[in-house]
Amino acid sequence: MEFFDDKKNWGQSEVKVGRSWKPDELRIKKRALNYKVGGLVTCGNLKLRDRFPVLLYYKFAVKQFDFTISTEAISVILLVTLLFMFMFVRFVLLKERNMLLTMEHECKEQAELFPNPERIDKVEESMNNLETVVRERNEAYFKLETGQTGERPVCMRKGAVGLMYKHRMAEHTIPRSMNKKWQQNYKSYGHTRDARQFLKLYREKLFLEKRRARNRERNHVMGLMKRFPNLDLEAVKQQFPSVDIEKIRYHKKTRGHHENIC
Amino acid sequence: MWETGSFFRYLLYQRGNPQQRIFLPNFWLKLVRPEHKQPPNIVQFIVSLQMTKYDIRNYLEKIYKIPVVDIRTVVAMGKTKQDELKGYVTKEDDCKVAFVTLPRGQEFEFPDLFPKDDKKLESDAKTLEETKKNYRQFLEKTKKRPGMPGWYSY
Repeated sequence: MEFFDDKKNWGQSEVKVGRSWKPDELRIKKRALNYKVGGLVTCGNLKLRDRFPVLLYYKFAVKQFDFTISTEAISVILLVTLLFMFMFVRFVLLKERNMLLTMEHECKEQAELFPNPERIDKVEESMNNLETVVRERNEAYFKLETGQTGERPVCMRKGAVGLMYKHRMAEHTIPRSMNKKWQQNYKSYGHTRDARQFLKLYREKLFLEKRRARNRERNHVMGLMKRFPNLDLEAVKQQFPSVDIEKIRYHKKTRGHHENIC
Repeated sequence: MWETGSFFRYLLYQRGNPQQRIFLPNFWLKLVRPEHKQPPNIVQFIVSLQMTKYDIRNYLEKIYKIPVVDIRTVVAMGKTKQDELKGYVTKEDDCKVAFVTLPRGQEFEFPDLFPKDDKKLESDAKTLEETKKNYRQFLEKTKKRPGMPGWYSY
């Protein structure tokens, strides 16, 4: 079974491994990595499911943004993207991760030390990098072909108390306006007096925080100018862009004691 | 463990009802020692909670090339533990346990991953003895000044 580490590593206190794959390597050495890098293609016969944006999100484009594209073009897109995906079918990373998890579990059971636990993090990092690269390519291809990213679309929506939040759109069998159950479960109170009062206070709080931060920064710059009369004002401007230097230059607080000596 | 934002989703509708595929799944699966005694052709796994029986079967058959006859799954609740002093309760994560039946004639026995190494045991015992000896020496040396730290010398 491939679920266990090399036999020579059993019971060792240290297992030496390399580093994780970097995105740049994955980008360049695509062909060299064909037989190294893992991905999985599997099919569920009865369950309708799909995870990767390729198949999923072109449909969003069609459905939600009234975007039309001929079936030939779609099939070409899918074919090419699938081909690209199939190149990564070697499952190394998945197998490695399962192996490490198995070993870690057994070590815990036997009350032993798991050697070099950072291996799991390395695999995870490689997986994330691989996904970034695949996603990049997918996005580029979609932009070229359809003018859209092909990512899952996001919109701003009002929450229950009237605050806006980012909503990641998903497909539904019926629209919101027809979904009585959803309407009952996710009632909105954003229009009520209490919510309005809350929003007023909330915005005031945000504003005050912002103003305090601004004043703090300005006072800090003033202090700097007071203590260091030969300050490089250009650098200060660059570092504190929100502070109007010309305005505070001749302020009382900016003047140091050195100028009082006659 | 792929980025969480891209976990797979169930598709409600797909034109032409084509074969569904998963790319870069964040499914994991670990082989564990069976808790109770099992027939030799039954293997116990802990899998990620999102996996269904179909997923497990495909995962094992397509990636690991392991022939599978039957799969039974159960979601096991994580154990709760109460803190002795403060009394708050902590709970381990739930997990899905899968019992996979291999075809007749195939057997699997969980290997012993920590073989007893006599040499290592001996060397460990030696170091322990040495440490004990050193500590005894230290105690002997600092007998007249109890409570004085070891780094202090006169």
